[in-house]
Amino acid sequence: MSKYALFLGCTTPTQVPQYELSARWVCKYFGIELIDIKDFVCCGINQVNLDIETGFSLAAMNLALAESEKLDVLTLCAACTGALAETIEKLKDEASRDKVNKKLKTVGLKYTGQSKVKHISRVLYEDIGLETIKKGIKKDLSALHVAPHYGCHYLKPKSAFGDFEKPDNPKRLHHLISAAGAHPIEYETLGLCCGGKTFPVTKNLAHSLVQKKFDNLMDKEADAMVLQCQTCYLMYSGQQKEINENYGKRYDFPVILYPQLLGLALGAEPKKDLGLDLNEISVNRILDKIL
Amino acid sequence: MKGLRQMNSEEKNSDLGITVSISECEPNFKFEVLSHPDASGLNACFNCGTCTAGCPIHEVFPEYNPRKLAKMVKLGMKKQVLSSPYIWYCATCHNCEQRCPQNVKFFNILNVLKNLAARQGYAPSCWIQQTEQIAKTGIVFPTEDSWIKRRQEMSLPFLNLDGEKAKRIIESSGMNEIKSKVNLNE
Repeated sequence: MSKYALFLGCTTPTQVPQYELSARWVCKYFGIELIDIKDFVCCGINQVNLDIETGFSLAAMNLALAESEKLDVLTLCAACTGALAETIEKLKDEASRDKVNKKLKTVGLKYTGQSKVKHISRVLYEDIGLETIKKGIKKDLSALHVAPHYGCHYLKPKSAFGDFEKPDNPKRLHHLISAAGAHPIEYETLGLCCGGKTFPVTKNLAHSLVQKKFDNLMDKEADAMVLQCQTCYLMYSGQQKEINENYGKRYDFPVILYPQLLGLALGAEPKKDLGLDLNEISVNRILDKIL
Repeated sequence: MKGLRQMNSEEKNSDLGITVSISECEPNFKFEVLSHPDASGLNACFNCGTCTAGCPIHEVFPEYNPRKLAKMVKLGMKKQVLSSPYIWYCATCHNCEQRCPQNVKFFNILNVLKNLAARQGYAPSCWIQQTEQIAKTGIVFPTEDSWIKRRQEMSLPFLNLDGEKAKRIIESSGMNEIKSKVNLNE
């Protein structure tokens, strides 16, 4: 079966371990072998702000580490996915690759472009497939209506990802949610960015983006949002209380990560296997709807 | 559609609200930006404003305007562009690049502008501090007992948190120069 180097990134293992826990559980369930590489570091996505080459070199260092194990990379974070995929695309250019490899030489590594990067949702969709997922379902989630949110760097830019998803009309997470037995809802601000990458610079603007999506979802009777990136998760879940306090709002949206939703359908134990007790906005009302 | 309507009203005003002071313009700025391979698409930009129309940050904060920034670079408004706090507001959603009819990668051009601005001391301290943190632990967070303990309780694997290799890569990039020009107390 599939075998990948698991790229955790910075935020998932430290701030949102329930994403890692549930992702590991789901991968194990489907026989996807995950290898932990101890020298993996930050993907460098924010470092391009200060120095483009440094950002890409950090990403290339991670890819070179996976290469040395002859493994492709499985990511959880959309932003890491984008950073690594953009680096693969950029380093197809020989001059750029040589520059980066000069830096990597100082740490005893070389990037040649052998390893690919795939977000966990792509691995589930492409390697496992919707039919296999459907066959594993043990719990009925059909009472759940959820709002998918894709995460910008999971599918953009097209130079790095081609058109496996249409960025203005993505479908795969919808299909994955349906395969788990729940109902994805349609809503107008589906493609709206969570603002996570501007949050450290201008928190208020990031909060404005979150509120725009919440205001849209208020009319939609969604039981929860379903995400596939922990940065988006921290914006919609982690910031929800503060947004309510700062702007006098009463948003109350449970937010779960796709492997948590799928894990529930596959019969995983909500707390021990999926860490659902760690989600800031209680998911009890979701669990109550599951038969 | 709202964004498009805004652009049309700006067209009627016949400018982007840019006040150009010829004496302050640096005509070579465009070439300085274009010399970076990541910004090579700038010449193809015909300033249609599709980038701005699809920009989520522009929608909540109209002062952030990719179309206007591209125009200012072409006009040689180096000081105004590089000292603008707005260039750091991009949420990196890539809509501008995705929708550009000329295949201009404005996101990449913006990174070039931010790199130049950083070397003039305009980098937000958050990105400097984050980069310094990576050089210590390899990730953007310091080691904290709370999450280490939680990982143990969840039987998740031990994290290495060795920033040595990342540090060597970061140090070879002129990060010290960037840091020395930024007042971290701003």
